[in-house]
Amino acid sequence: MNVLPLALYALACAAYVWHFARRDPLLGRTATTLLVAATMAHTFVIGMETMEFGQIPMFGINSAISTFVWLLALAYLYTEMTTDERAMGAFILPLLVAFQAIPAFHPAVESPAAVLQGPLFGVHVSSLMFAYASFALACVIGITYVLLFKEIKAKHLGFFYARLPSLQTLDSMNQRAIAVGWIFLTIGLIVGAVWTPQARVEDPRVQAMSLLDPKIFLALVCWLVYSFEAFAARRIGWGGRRAAYLSAIGFAIVMLNFVPISYFVTNSHDF
Amino acid sequence: MHLLLVGISHRTAPVELRERLDFQARGVGAALRALTARGSTREAVVVSTCNRAELYAACDDAEQARTDLVNFLTEFHGLDRAALQPHLYDLVDLDVTRHLFRVAAGLDSMVVGEPQILGQVKEALTVASAEQSAGPLLHRLFHSSFGVGKRVRTETGIGAGAVSIGFAAVALARKIFGDLNGRNVLVVGAGEMGKLTAIHMKSQGVNRVTIVSRTMAHAARTAEAIGGASAAPWEDIDAALGSSDIVITATGAASPILTKARIETIMRPRRNQPLFIIDIALPRDVEPAAGEIEQVFLYNIDDLQITVRENMARRESEMARAQAIVGEEVDKFDGWLRSRGAVSTIVALRRHFERIRRAELDRLEPKLATLPPEAKERLEDITHLLIEKLLLTPTEQLKASGGDPETVGAYGDALTRLFGLDEPEGGRPARGRVEPFPGPKSRSSSGSGR
Repeated sequence: MNVLPLALYALACAAYVWHFARRDPLLGRTATTLLVAATMAHTFVIGMETMEFGQIPMFGINSAISTFVWLLALAYLYTEMTTDERAMGAFILPLLVAFQAIPAFHPAVESPAAVLQGPLFGVHVSSLMFAYASFALACVIGITYVLLFKEIKAKHLGFFYARLPSLQTLDSMNQRAIAVGWIFLTIGLIVGAVWTPQARVEDPRVQAMSLLDPKIFLALVCWLVYSFEAFAARRIGWGGRRAAYLSAIGFAIVMLNFVPISYFVTNSHDF
Repeated sequence: MHLLLVGISHRTAPVELRERLDFQARGVGAALRALTARGSTREAVVVSTCNRAELYAACDDAEQARTDLVNFLTEFHGLDRAALQPHLYDLVDLDVTRHLFRVAAGLDSMVVGEPQILGQVKEALTVASAEQSAGPLLHRLFHSSFGVGKRVRTETGIGAGAVSIGFAAVALARKIFGDLNGRNVLVVGAGEMGKLTAIHMKSQGVNRVTIVSRTMAHAARTAEAIGGASAAPWEDIDAALGSSDIVITATGAASPILTKARIETIMRPRRNQPLFIIDIALPRDVEPAAGEIEQVFLYNIDDLQITVRENMARRESEMARAQAIVGEEVDKFDGWLRSRGAVSTIVALRRHFERIRRAELDRLEPKLATLPPEAKERLEDITHLLIEKLLLTPTEQLKASGGDPETVGAYGDALTRLFGLDEPEGGRPARGRVEPFPGPKSRSSSGSGR
């Protein structure tokens, strides 16, 4: 089921990269069209799964990743439509393809555990997913910021100089993505904390949850990093390149938490 | 009909001569009126800029028109023919097309890819239209050239990258700050260079321009010259730096005014908001080490010159792609000219048949006189219909082959010869032979220079 969106994402990815290299406006439009098609196909897949399970598929790592990719694609499309800036696509799309490959090639459909049903859990996971998607966007924007920054600093105005929007634009896009991500991260964590005591009685795994669980601990570290970036960094003159590095570090922690820790290390939060 | 071009440009003539051939002085309209009055051309357009003076014409006899255009140039500008002749170039038919397409695309400009020339070519046609000297052929030619100019600009990087110091500085500022609206500019030093760059920045919509100079009166004078700028005393330079985004330094000082340490102290209160420093002074006004400070972007005049040179080189490297587009468009125009040839063959063929019909009816007039009017009318209709039917297939065939120059040429020649289309009523050979345009001569010219 997840293979068709993957194929379309891969095509769109090729078109975005090609467009980035050649700067042909027609290629750009083709790339966007392909991405819209991919997102629509993905929406359909997720819609089917939602109908099957009665809620958005977010339990189990595979469907969670699929949902994450879908949200990231939507978030990127929103950014592209509002800024009319396609350069970032060449960086985001490879990420989408890489992630989407996981659910596409491990099509194990897990059915939701009884404990994971109910509105609070839904809010918890979907806001975290959305936060992660925003952070992914912020990370990619941050990387492009650093690439452009280095070219201007080194007085070598070349490849990225000709293709990326201005440093100021990238910086404010990064700021916006971080702000949106922070809001959803905060909501997700609070709802998680509220939901845990309620669910504790039903499932032994939930009873074992504490702040020392690696996944929960790292989520809090993330929250601290992003809180610092969103509120404090610019006041002490950590704008621009340092903020860009921060978003990359933050997202590295998110990824660490999302994939390897979910698979191997966590002892209670293994949904 | 032939296309003809006679002219000079920065490639063939020094500026003194170009100045003397400038049509703008006495008015392009007057020149067109004088040229049309000579009667050697059917259509004419004058393209006159500071880098070129070119006469585009459509004429029946290219050789005769060329001589007359040269005479016109010398007479109109009061020049000696011998002085002008070595700098003149002339082109015929498709070479004219190629040349104008290159000009409109900015490929023939002094600064490759500069955008003004397209507007100047448009202006040339506007004036010629107003004087009614541009007919269908030149109209089509010039309108095609506008399309070529636009295509080359959008499909290649020929116009990309700043190719002057001022533009390079503005382009960099845009890459750092995005929109320059609301940005503040500080000019240190009241010299000419600083003033020019400040005017350039001002035209890009910056919020505030402040001038500081060691002598306040000097700064005030420069600020007034720029218009909308303000002057500040030399002692306030640190405060002015703190509230500026772009700093242009252009003093005559022998040693750096802005040291790394000084800029570091400025950066702290502004919380590392980016600062773009353009040092156009020689010797330099800003310590090079200041460029190491996070969020300080320091460019001196050499750095800007390097980016200008790189951009020039990049434009040159886009030449091949631009030339390919010009080639494609020349072929398209050639196709149009030839289908236009097909149309003229069709018209000649129809006229020929109609003439025969008329002649026969006139010849039979005495015998037909006895017929009732309805029968006469019927006879008119039947003969007319007969010709229509006979001509239907050949007409369709000719039109269908409109895109293929070879076929049109062959058909046109065959029809002209078979039906004697070049012999008008009197039987004597016509001066303006009806032939698919352009003739075999221009075919060979289209092959050259590709």
